Amino acid sequence: MSGIEAVKVIVDAEKEAARIVEDAQNKATQIRKGIDSRIQEERQQALDSAKKEAATIVQHAEEEGKVEAANVTKESEKQVQELVTRASASKDAAVNKLVSIILEEK
Amino acid sequence: MSETSMFTEDILSAARAKAQSIISDAEAELQRATQEAKATISKEAGDIIRNAQSEAEAIKRRQVSEARHLSKLHEQGEKNRILLEVLERTRKRVIEATKREATYLPYLTVQIENGIRELGYDTAVIHLNATDLKGINRASIEKDAAKHLGKSVKVEWASEPIETIGGAVISSVDAKTRIVNTLDQKFEALESTLLMEAGKTLFVT
Repeated sequence: MSGIEAVKVIVDAEKEAARIVEDAQNKATQIRKGIDSRIQEERQQALDSAKKEAATIVQHAEEEGKVEAANVTKESEKQVQELVTRASASKDAAVNKLVSIILEEK
Repeated sequence: MSETSMFTEDILSAARAKAQSIISDAEAELQRATQEAKATISKEAGDIIRNAQSEAEAIKRRQVSEARHLSKLHEQGEKNRILLEVLERTRKRVIEATKREATYLPYLTVQIENGIRELGYDTAVIHLNATDLKGINRASIEKDAAKHLGKSVKVEWASEPIETIGGAVISSVDAKTRIVNTLDQKFEALESTLLMEAGKTLFVT
């Protein structure tokens, strides 16, 4: 190889080296540019999933609440019915008592 | 291998190493940023779930609380209905009692005596309802009142009837002072006592 040929080979190698580095820098730039969108994508996925789970939690609570409320109403109806039955049996006694209070009040 | 070839190989190796380093740095940066973001995202997602759990508890509490409140209103409504019925029956029984002279005359006499005593004048005007004005034994009342009052009080009977189910209004001659001892007044004055006593009998177990 002549001296001129050797210089040409070296110049070509340096050009190739510069291209390799430039390619790498371009790729790095692309990677960095993608950081925000990748994070946004992951965030969106995580939040969508959390919102879906949250909606399920709330929906279950509404269903459970309805069942509990219905139980409370049913139990209360029973207690009110018992109260009415007991009170109805005491109406005459109550009337007698009130009549006495009115007529015996000085 | 010639010296030139070795030299160019060194140049390319160095370039490849630098390229690798550049890409590794970028990937590390990506990794670091992603990890940091994951912590924030995880906290955001956790907040959403925790808020939902709090909301869920509040929803359940509210539904149960509303059911309890409505039940309480229903119970109170039933109690009121029964109390009003008892008060109405009491009123009817008292009205019936005014038709039985054996019960009513002593009662009316006491009310008139008390009124005269409270009025404190030598002359008292007695006002009765139309039924009592016609049917009641006024002489008996005057006689008993004179006996129990222990002093001589002139009793006059107003000719105009008053609107009441029973009892009497005792007034001064000029009508400026009036003692209201009617049954209507007693019902009104004793309402809270009547409701309380009826409640004790009806609802206290």
